[in-house]
Amino acid sequence: MPEEEIGPAPVTEPAAAPAEAGVLPGPIAADTQAGAHEASHATLPAEREAGDASSSPGGSPSLAGDSPSSVRAVAVALAGWIVPGLGHALLKMWGRAWAIFLTVGFLVYLGAGMRGNIFAAGGEDAFSRLGYLADLGAGSFYYAARMEETTGADVSHADGDYGTRFLATAGVLNLLAALHSYEAARGRKA
Amino acid sequence: MVPLHFTHFQALFLFALVISLAFGTLGRRKPIERVKYAAWSLLMFLLVAIALGWLMYPFSR
Repeated sequence: MPEEEIGPAPVTEPAAAPAEAGVLPGPIAADTQAGAHEASHATLPAEREAGDASSSPGGSPSLAGDSPSSVRAVAVALAGWIVPGLGHALLKMWGRAWAIFLTVGFLVYLGAGMRGNIFAAGGEDAFSRLGYLADLGAGSFYYAARMEETTGADVSHADGDYGTRFLATAGVLNLLAALHSYEAARGRKA
Repeated sequence: MVPLHFTHFQALFLFALVISLAFGTLGRRKPIERVKYAAWSLLMFLLVAIALGWLMYPFSR
């Protein structure tokens, strides 16, 4: 995988921070320096992602643009939610994209195969509603699970109970991955 | 689709394995670190699950 070939991410020094810090009084200067330091980390992710996205010629994320925009980041996160791994794929983070796609897919396959409970909308209690939200986190795979589980859930056995957890975990993991891709697209540490 | 049947330990192990691999891939960047983290996570999943199982054993009957 290309991302493994990258060494430590290069450090981008903040351009204006040292000059400004010298002018300000102690604590403020310290805050400013801290802010500038964080700002430098905020710009760093472009390179960090390049680490993950090393196959792109310029080292920048593919959806690119030089400046990360929140709209693009939201689009990436939405894509990652709807199709697990797509958010990272759009950023050319291939290893993570495949890992998420395969992990979520495998968990959904196992969960549905074990006849876990796939919660539907309009649950009667909080547990059902939370379960629905967790299951829905798998995006399109939620509907794939519903199609796969033609015989319905069977939680009277341990298999079905485990399957329910597998499905919920797939959804929550995919939400976590979508959030991760959002952070990466925003250029934050991810 | 063919229904899948697992024992408790098989289901536990599968779950731990898949999640550990995902954690390793998402949480670390270098291959060796990923392998180490995934292996550590897997070990911890199994140890904690087995320990909890034994802790609950006296109350199971």
